[in-house]
Amino acid sequence: MEEAKVGVFLSDCGGQIPKILDFEALTNFVKSVPGVALVARGSEFWRGQGLQTIVDAVKTKKINRVVVAETVPKISEVAISKAVERAGLNSHLVEVVDIKDHCAWPHRDMPKEATEKAKAMILAAIEKAKLMEPIDKAEFPSVKSVLVIGGGVAGMQAAEDLAEMGFQVYLVEKEPFLGGLAAKAVRFFPTDDCAICIQSPASLTAVTQTSRKCVYRSGLSEIPNLNILTNAKVVKVEGGPGNFKVTVERRPRYVDEKKCVACDLCTSVCPVESPDEYNARLSKRKAIYINKPLVYPPVYVIDAKACKFHACAKCVEVCPTKAINLDKKPEHLTLNVGSIIVATGFREYDPSVIKEYHYGEYPDVVTHLELARMLDAFGPTGGVPVRPSDGKPAKRVVFVQCVGSRDRRWNPYCSSICCMISLKHATMIKEAFPDTDLTICYIDIRATGREHEYYYEKAREMGVKFVKGRPSEIIHDPATNTLIVEVEDELLRRLLELEADLVVLATAMVPSEDAKELAQILGIELDQDGFFKEYNAKLRPTETKRRGIFICGGSVFPKDVPTASLHAHSAAVKAAKFLMNGKIVKDLRVAVVNQDYCGNCQFCPVTCPYGAITLEPKGEGHFAAKVSELLCEGCGVCVGTCPVGAIELRHLKPSQISAQIRALLAVNGTSKPLVLAFSCSECGHAAVDSSGMAMMSYPANVRVLRVPCTGIIQVHHILEAFKAGAQGVMVVGCKPDGCHYEVGSQKAKQKVEMAKMLLQAYGIEPERLEMFNLVFVEGDKFAEAAKAMTERVEKLGPLQFA
Amino acid sequence: MAEEKLLDFAREITGRLGGETITNCYQCGTCASTCPVARTTERYNPRQILRLALLGQRDEILKGDAIWLCASCYNCQERCPQKVEIADVIYALRNIAIQEGNTPAIYTDFATALISEGRLAPISKFLEKKRAEYGLPAIKPTGLEALKKILAATGFDKIVFKKEGATK
Ligand code: SF4
Ligand code: SF4
Ligand code: SF4
Ligand code: SF4
Repeated sequence: MEEAKVGVFLSDCGGQIPKILDFEALTNFVKSVPGVALVARGSEFWRGQGLQTIVDAVKTKKINRVVVAETVPKISEVAISKAVERAGLNSHLVEVVDIKDHCAWPHRDMPKEATEKAKAMILAAIEKAKLMEPIDKAEFPSVKSVLVIGGGVAGMQAAEDLAEMGFQVYLVEKEPFLGGLAAKAVRFFPTDDCAICIQSPASLTAVTQTSRKCVYRSGLSEIPNLNILTNAKVVKVEGGPGNFKVTVERRPRYVDEKKCVACDLCTSVCPVESPDEYNARLSKRKAIYINKPLVYPPVYVIDAKACKFHACAKCVEVCPTKAINLDKKPEHLTLNVGSIIVATGFREYDPSVIKEYHYGEYPDVVTHLELARMLDAFGPTGGVPVRPSDGKPAKRVVFVQCVGSRDRRWNPYCSSICCMISLKHATMIKEAFPDTDLTICYIDIRATGREHEYYYEKAREMGVKFVKGRPSEIIHDPATNTLIVEVEDELLRRLLELEADLVVLATAMVPSEDAKELAQILGIELDQDGFFKEYNAKLRPTETKRRGIFICGGSVFPKDVPTASLHAHSAAVKAAKFLMNGKIVKDLRVAVVNQDYCGNCQFCPVTCPYGAITLEPKGEGHFAAKVSELLCEGCGVCVGTCPVGAIELRHLKPSQISAQIRALLAVNGTSKPLVLAFSCSECGHAAVDSSGMAMMSYPANVRVLRVPCTGIIQVHHILEAFKAGAQGVMVVGCKPDGCHYEVGSQKAKQKVEMAKMLLQAYGIEPERLEMFNLVFVEGDKFAEAAKAMTERVEKLGPLQFA
Repeated sequence: MAEEKLLDFAREITGRLGGETITNCYQCGTCASTCPVARTTERYNPRQILRLALLGQRDEILKGDAIWLCASCYNCQERCPQKVEIADVIYALRNIAIQEGNTPAIYTDFATALISEGRLAPISKFLEKKRAEYGLPAIKPTGLEALKKILAATGFDKIVFKKEGATK
């Protein structure tokens, strides 16, 4: 390693800082530190002339490490690193400390102490900088190709976006036809247009651009680089971001897509009938069938569970184009894709578990999807709501909301779209059959979207009755074939017995059946309700913890069509951004394993929140941990976990942590006992920032050491701090469930507990150590904690090692 | 109704055995429409009891007779979508009422019988004769002394007679 020549640049913030800190003393102190080759003072160093000063110093080779005491740390760090890189120095040989928000501002009423703290802060930065080594960039090739799993609204939308952006797209749908749940929904709110059109395979040439408001008619099948694979399922995923190898299993359709002309002869001769899944089993279909009237692909399919194959083969004989081959076997395809989008949607919950509603037992108790199929003019009843028990038109319909939703026994969450579905269906029925008696039993009507309240208004205008109350029982009177719904009208405080021909259960929306299996194949997480879990629900709603794997639409939570579309666009943009360069360029601020030390304890592969660590065979049954440079996020949680210290971060080596501990505690200058606060770079540091920005005062004896994530902290770091002169130690991290690196903050808590036990064993009061979980807006809490901790250790008196 | 009072009563109930789940209630009315007692009298509606309790109407609940009408059939509890243990909440409310001396006379009668004879129902000559006719063995005396000790240790006797027959 070349000899470190540190340049230190002290920003006085346009003369503001020297009003508090003694800049003379500071400058003289810095000059005296070994290794410092240059000290410059300026008004600001992250832009303009100040930045040029740094660049010049680097260019003339006077210095090879840059330490800047700045006043806008977050932006300045980026700006300075970039400038330094342009000047020919590795961008990671830079350390920036914030002497305004972390020192001058919060300690403005104790200038002497503040000056001493500033010395310690800059000393720590210099000592860290001296031990820095350049960190390279690496390039990982990626293929410009995306796999979209699920051919419903969201999947088609995302696939179309990406294909039109020029990516090779594979859209994999498990059913024989595209469309998903939405295709069965007859009409959509809030536009009131039909679901049929969204299944249309009409080509780009056949429609005008105005039809593009509807995703299916935009000519999905005509986009050259979009490959639609129906009847197909992802069975294996290998490789990593940028280069996944995906195995897709395609069940045979038995009908050649290129030959079938959809003449319907086959269906007319097929002797086998079974319940029609598409029509919610309210009608029958043949073993060879197509969903009517418009679907993609417009090709018939054989239901392998129903077909008698060679024992019958009537369709084969009759097919005029010889499109049918009953001997087709499943195929396996291997796809090479750079990223993956999950859009597997949601499904209706089976409400038969709610015994008091007797679904599955009384035929006239149906779900809202079953009603939707009845309201479809092409559906099993030709658009008429009927009693499935006898096929007679339903004159009295009762809707029951929140069936299996908002129910702690089944699904505690609100499925969010069922109120709107019932309002849509009620208004549709009233429009077509104004004499129908309609009642909606509800707990709360949730019509929160744009134009949604309008449906509620319209329903009331049309005479739909609303009963505030959740029914407790549905009874069937066999004498009259009438259903009786028992409900309390809470507003009247009266028990009602509503007679109905048809009861429609607004049943919950739950994750698709294969979500669990798919999550396992992809190595991503599900939330407590079984939906795919996003990396961050607030700002990264389509990303997952696995780089290159995105989620959207109803697979994340039940959604209406507009929301699913938006979500899909977002996922498409994320996937495109990830792959557009044909390579993934990354600074190698990652963890490295010293494989000679690795004891193969297998702790780190389990602990790494990003699945970045695997065990590599080292011969004769020996294994050693290995970090994927592509997957590692550089949090250091593994470092904190490794019991033998075999892992370190390139950007924060153990020697650098120790050097900073010592330096921060080397200068005191106050009568108060020194307290060292380890803070993570995320929420923890943000809380320290905000307390300073808001000029909240706390004592200058509290010194902050920033680490990427508190998960890196080991018990020995805490002991080292006490050894180096700290009378108290704070650990400041994110909220346990809001850690930027998932588990880091929780791991830190465990370390703190362990350290407390050790301290006790050494005869040191465990109260000298405390963990705090703070966020940016809790700067006041940081200031309070710093004060309280100081007072606490003052009261305990000087630390005595036993 | 002061907010403080509102929170106080809800907290008092959640702090008692059986009362823990009361704050789950979102007033859906399932319990009311399944309750056989609510069906027969307007004086009792479990949803309304929970509502009054959550709104801090302490006196109305504890001094009134409604909470004593629950038949403990647990229909409501079985069906409540928020897992409110309604019948148990009602027990918690009854316990508070009794502790404050609002015990209906019939309960005091039962309790008196229990303390003095070790049973809720007295054993009459008629009963003994009937049992003999059916070939049932004679009823053994209760371990009255042991029972008394238990009732005294739990404070049962004192609670019951705190304000005897305060309510109807
Ligand atoms: S008979 Fe042949 S061409 Fe006609 S619909 Fe059936 S499979 Fe297609
Ligand atoms: S630094 Fe973090 S992301 Fe990288 S291997 Fe270690 S635990 Fe995983
Ligand atoms: S059923 Fe449960 S949630 Fe509904 S009103 Fe009764 S106690 Fe409340
Ligand atoms: S337990 Fe009580 S409140 Fe509940 S249904 Fe039965 S009688 Fe009504």
